[in-house]
Amino acid sequence: MTVAWILRRARRPSASARRALWAAAGSFVVLGLVCGATVLGLRATRGWMSTVGRSVHVIAFLRDEMESDQVSQLADLLRRRPGVARVHLVEPAEALARLRDAARPSPATDSWLNDLEPGYFPRSIEVALAPSADLPQRAAELSRRLRGLAGVAQVDAMTNGVARLAAWVRFGQRLGWAVVLAAGIAALSFLVSAVVRGREARRRQAQVLVILGETAGNIRLPANIALAVAGLTGAFVALVVLRIAWPALLAAVEGALGIIPMPAGLFLGFWESAVALLAASTFGWVLGYLSTPVPGWVDA
Amino acid sequence: MIWLEGVSYLRAGGPALEDVTLGVSRGELVVVQGPTGSGKSSLLAVAAGAQAPDSGAVWIAERNIAGLQASSLPYVRRNIGYLPPEPLLIPDETVLENIMLALAVRGESIDSAEADARETLAMVADSAWEGRLARSLSTGQQRLVALARALVGPPSLVVVDEPASGLGGDDRKGIASALVWARDCGCAVLCATSDPTFAQMLVDEGGRRVHLEGGRMAGGPAIGLVPTPAGFAGENASEDAESAEPIPSSDRRSSGEEPS
Repeated sequence: MTVAWILRRARRPSASARRALWAAAGSFVVLGLVCGATVLGLRATRGWMSTVGRSVHVIAFLRDEMESDQVSQLADLLRRRPGVARVHLVEPAEALARLRDAARPSPATDSWLNDLEPGYFPRSIEVALAPSADLPQRAAELSRRLRGLAGVAQVDAMTNGVARLAAWVRFGQRLGWAVVLAAGIAALSFLVSAVVRGREARRRQAQVLVILGETAGNIRLPANIALAVAGLTGAFVALVVLRIAWPALLAAVEGALGIIPMPAGLFLGFWESAVALLAASTFGWVLGYLSTPVPGWVDA
Repeated sequence: MIWLEGVSYLRAGGPALEDVTLGVSRGELVVVQGPTGSGKSSLLAVAAGAQAPDSGAVWIAERNIAGLQASSLPYVRRNIGYLPPEPLLIPDETVLENIMLALAVRGESIDSAEADARETLAMVADSAWEGRLARSLSTGQQRLVALARALVGPPSLVVVDEPASGLGGDDRKGIASALVWARDCGCAVLCATSDPTFAQMLVDEGGRRVHLEGGRMAGGPAIGLVPTPAGFAGENASEDAESAEPIPSSDRRSSGEEPS
């Protein structure tokens, strides 16, 4: 059979084979969405955990009577503490500047913000802990110790927020894996079902072609091409859908969890997308091979 | 053209063929007649390369196809027009597309295949069917379309099993004419039928009749015509079928066929 014939037959599958082909293409879309969302989800949660790790976990507000050298000593002590990633001394002027930056500009707020003076704000020390699984416990322990110091007026542990966020991320990961597993199994089941249906649709065709003297390779080729194209199309559609929907979904989740938004452009790279398309079309080609039964001899 | 030599074929219920020897030359029409269950379909399936014999040899174009590798068989089959007992068509494809497939396999261009398929359909059946899906045809109509597919080309060897089964008088005459046309084109034509009237129709057209009973050729195991192992139009035949040997002349036996 010439190339023209093979392409003609690949473009004109029988009605039942066409239905199976559409089902396979749909399954490839779902499978692509599941795989893509898994990769991007893992990437996002890693980013969130990194954000959590960079955040300030303990803030110690200092009494006014504490001398500057005492404050410096306390900061040095904290820096030497194992598990402490960063210590930052916030002077009253910086605290006021932060408040002004954070406040929404409006005629009502502008007036009283302008009246504020740095002297109204206490000095504070912000402590960021190195990220680890027991971060909430370590933050709580550090808070307890700081509260016992004479020059410390108040300690904002932020432990509850950190623990809640970590718990949400862990829950989200577990839920995500469960959803991925369920959706992956469902998509694969649809795909296998489509291949089995396609196999039944092509059985008669293969028998006829064997009798007519077609080679096994050429008998399989139209299905190989059709399913490879289905895989390529399905993966492409999944990539487009993810490209459009993923940023909005991510923003919604980050908004719900109160997480700092991820930097823009966190998506699959060009080569990752190319590899995904190639893998999908190769998988389709293999399925095409499996979906065409070719008997060696034909029952008389 | 084709030479079946001492062919035996077993099936679940027992032997379907026992030591059958038969030859068909180019430009010859041989009618295998026998009652139902006599082994005609098995004989034709073996001759068409659709079934492997349990013993014996099937010489086509000086190659014993019973000894060929499975990967080489397609190159032999594409030069055989085979009508199995049940007309095997692709139900979701049109009549014309089904007939064109035989030429597609032989590498003919799409336009040329379409023209040839139309011509053969007009000769064997009805041109008006060409756009109909095969599944919409009656069994008899499907048989005619499958016959057209077996004859299109035409191939070097035509093997047709019960081509007139279930068909009326005009159709039977048309089928007989088509088989005679194929023979006159230089094809070796092997036709099986359990219908004595149809067999006689072919004999009247110059066909040679042989009888098959209980898996054996009537009158002995070695009935057949000495074949002329002239070139089978197997220009696509696989070159790796080198294990095939020429037909040993000492083993060729004279036929005891009924004179036509």
